Amino acid sequence: MTITPTTSDDDLLRRMRAGDAQAFAALYRRHQAPVYRFALLRCGSADTAADTVQEAFMGLLTGRLAFDPLRGSLPNFLFGVARLLILKQEEPRRRESALPEFDEDDSELACEDACPLTRVLASEAAEEVRRALSRLAPHYRDALILYELHDLSYGEIATICAIDIGTVRSRLARGRAALAKALRAHALDTH
Amino acid sequence: MHHDDTPDLDLQLAQLRTGMAGIDTPRYVEQALMHAFSAQFAQRQPWYRRLGLLEWSAAGIGALASVAVAGLLLTSPHLSNRLHESNALVRIDNGAAFIALDSFERIEAEPAPRLVETEVPRTMLAALGLPATPENAGDAVRAEMLVGAGGEPLALRLSSLSFN
Repeated sequence: MTITPTTSDDDLLRRMRAGDAQAFAALYRRHQAPVYRFALLRCGSADTAADTVQEAFMGLLTGRLAFDPLRGSLPNFLFGVARLLILKQEEPRRRESALPEFDEDDSELACEDACPLTRVLASEAAEEVRRALSRLAPHYRDALILYELHDLSYGEIATICAIDIGTVRSRLARGRAALAKALRAHALDTH
Repeated sequence: MHHDDTPDLDLQLAQLRTGMAGIDTPRYVEQALMHAFSAQFAQRQPWYRRLGLLEWSAAGIGALASVAVAGLLLTSPHLSNRLHESNALVRIDNGAAFIALDSFERIEAEPAPRLVETEVPRTMLAALGLPATPENAGDAVRAEMLVGAGGEPLALRLSSLSFN
């Protein structure tokens, strides 16, 4: 049976589980880029982002991660898995920093990740926004990346981040404000 | 969401979207995943599905070669005669063994054969197809050797041989 761009994810998953390598390759090629871009913006490291994508698809392949089509789409499931993998990776660093209670307004939670200053994008303007984004608190970053870069709805972001829609809305508003402030400050510094 | 409050930010986010547009996961990730896929499904498949084209080709060539050799042995009259001859080289009868060391025609044609008493190591007899055990492998067996006029060995007769 041939695989076309209209072949559904469910069909590809079924064929993948039956041992069809082409179906797995098609599934990977269809979804790898958005997951990688999300992970790259979320953690700021190309290596960590690549590991995240690999681990997410390995989980799908081995059945360690149980995807249920009734609970959402495959891309959103993969975003959720990537987010959890990155959170898990950040866990030791968060514990070391021994911050007090989680605070929605606490911009100091910003992750000093891998190396946010390491250049990732060719465009200077885009790179500047990416760096400012990488300095935001992780919970703002999640919402901003998924909404602004991946065009997901509040409902989808709420499911991926396991929060309610009201929290998504507030995190987006605060995240945008923090990002705008950081970019303004950077513009003032450079002039 | 209405973004009139931060028009510059919308423009900057659009620049980020453009900058990220062509970025894909490094190629090695796909290669690693496909390798993992092959390994996982190779374990689940029965042995005959795990063999690749190369292995099946080698097995087929081996089988064909075996059939060809067997056919050659069965159809060649020369080789067939040699087999029958070799079957006749050792004869065991009532505990005594007769071992022809040359062809029966040559033995029958010998004008003046002589019998010579001798001793033969069991290891040599084992090489001729007679039974030997680790316990008696070092022993020697008394034998009568038929030799030609020129002293060449023609046959052996073993009368006191124990085959146990």
